[in-house]
Amino acid sequence: MLDEYSVIEGRSQGFLKLLAGLGVLILMGAGAFFYVEHHGHAVTGMNNQVVWGLPHIFAISLLVMASGALNMGSMSTVFAVKQFEQFGRFSAFLAIALLIGGLTVLMLDLGRPDNMLLPMVHMNFTSMFTWNVFLYTGFMTLCLIYLWAMFEHSVYKKTVGTAAFAWRLVLTTGTGSIFGVIQGREVFGSAITAPTFVAISLTSGTAISILLLVYTFRMTGRELDQRLVFGMRNAMIFFLTLVAYLFVVEKVTRFYDPASFAVESWILTGSWAWLYWCGVWGMGVIIPMLLLFNHSWGNRVGGVLLASGFVIVGAFCFVAHTLLAGQSYPFDLFPGYIISSQFQDGVVGSYTATLPELFLGLGGVGVSGLIYLLGIRFFRMLPNRGVVPKGWDVPWNP
Amino acid sequence: MNMDRRSVLGLGGAIAAGVALAPGLHLIAAPAPSSEAASPDSPPAKRWAMLIDTTRCAENCTACTTACRAENNVPLFGDPDRDIHWIRKVELRDQKHRQPPVSLPVLCNHCENPPCVHVCPTEASFIRHDGLVLVDKHRCIGCRYCMIACPYKARSLVFHKTRLPEGGNPKVPIRAVGVVEKCTFCAHRLDDGQKPACVEACAKADKNAMIFGDINDPNSEISQRLLKEKTQTIRADLGLKPQVYYKGI
Repeated sequence: MLDEYSVIEGRSQGFLKLLAGLGVLILMGAGAFFYVEHHGHAVTGMNNQVVWGLPHIFAISLLVMASGALNMGSMSTVFAVKQFEQFGRFSAFLAIALLIGGLTVLMLDLGRPDNMLLPMVHMNFTSMFTWNVFLYTGFMTLCLIYLWAMFEHSVYKKTVGTAAFAWRLVLTTGTGSIFGVIQGREVFGSAITAPTFVAISLTSGTAISILLLVYTFRMTGRELDQRLVFGMRNAMIFFLTLVAYLFVVEKVTRFYDPASFAVESWILTGSWAWLYWCGVWGMGVIIPMLLLFNHSWGNRVGGVLLASGFVIVGAFCFVAHTLLAGQSYPFDLFPGYIISSQFQDGVVGSYTATLPELFLGLGGVGVSGLIYLLGIRFFRMLPNRGVVPKGWDVPWNP
Repeated sequence: MNMDRRSVLGLGGAIAAGVALAPGLHLIAAPAPSSEAASPDSPPAKRWAMLIDTTRCAENCTACTTACRAENNVPLFGDPDRDIHWIRKVELRDQKHRQPPVSLPVLCNHCENPPCVHVCPTEASFIRHDGLVLVDKHRCIGCRYCMIACPYKARSLVFHKTRLPEGGNPKVPIRAVGVVEKCTFCAHRLDDGQKPACVEACAKADKNAMIFGDINDPNSEISQRLLKEKTQTIRADLGLKPQVYYKGI
């Protein structure tokens, strides 16, 4: 049963339209890259206080999701949840596709993209960026070997799958630590940032997997037992609870410290509070939880898909809030004093994204989408049918 | 050449492994011999530092910032959020307005534990032998992580295209668009035995609010004054050991 994989035909109108749409996204991204490269970052919304903007939000969201996309593979290989074994190939390949999309945006947003290979030659091992070069390339290598094992040499599957699982935890820890190790900005510099990124990768990775699996199976006319979707729904509820727990622990801990009171109050009520409450909490945690726990919505594939969509938007908002609120909060050069200057000292930094930034970010989504589409077109990534093992049923339903 | 899918996957894995491991080979290269290795008898290296006496710094005086722009070809684009500032005047007020405001210049603090150097992935930001924190503009990839890490907002990205202004200083090359730049303590002037342009301009304006020198020399004016006068550094709590000291705040 589990060996019955096939490629998609790729002749339908839908496939060609999707291909064309992704091609347009990539062209938009390429155009935006050359535009920014020619005119400098002055044509973006970024400035000397908010130096990372929308492209980084896209890039980091894709990278975090890439790590989480391996969930299904890990669940079967590491934790012996056998009903997801059939999606192992899909899972590892999707992780690679998302990773490449994210890295593409990250590299094309450099001030000097012509120097992008320098980090491979001149390395500074006190920099999280240098570690991430190894973590990203290493993760991609492990995913490719994992795929190879799943395709041809299943004897190595457990070993490589376990290594990939461990690596992805370190990988997302590395991504979160980009902010976690920064002490110079009031909002960053928390040991809990990295675990929170790991938890967000679990939710967003599961959500993108659910969405892509269900839609790919529908569009290619393959049967997918809805109990598999409900099994993933239950995993998602667990991951969302973990995210909510980490959010609450961080806020309570920070509020307990009088030195952090001002900045934490600003996060909850300041200029990016709408993103925190509506995006991070509302769309990222509360609405999906309400949908998934609802007897009617939670027991319908459509309801799970809707919740997954919210989870992805929520993860995007989480990354956006981490970056934008973190950079906008004024530098506290002289605690206890009011400061002002011609360099926007003492004021909340401003940032409004521009179209080139949006196009560059969407270009990365296009790259990931195209790789995924071509992957399932030319490699046997997907099972002919998504079925559950005999005797298995969803252990809990709302 | 025909390749089956298995070979494509295998080749992909091999290439990715190569990309992942190749940089690591750099690690085992033999270290280059250092021509600057200090002998036990050699005098201690210089350690440049600055003392800013805010009681002598006038609110409306911009001699230091103007001199810095002229000396280092630091452009103004008329784009306040993206203008480049190597040194800027900051005004401080206590929250209850009980004391008169204090005006003072803020610049790169050339920290002993500089977070910008720690986070730079390519070692474009580095510490020179005399403690100056500098940026190699040819090695900077414009990732801006150093700007995120610096607590003094002392770094600027070159957002606009720049060119040497008419009458500009040919000794200081302009920086290309997309790289990060910052105060160098006028390294080119120090190497010629001069003081930084801002310090010289402050003295010429008859303020003498900026004292510059080698704190490894116990007889230097800055060493003497740091011994005798009450000074503080900005954000000392972060443990960065900044080398710009302030008096009067």
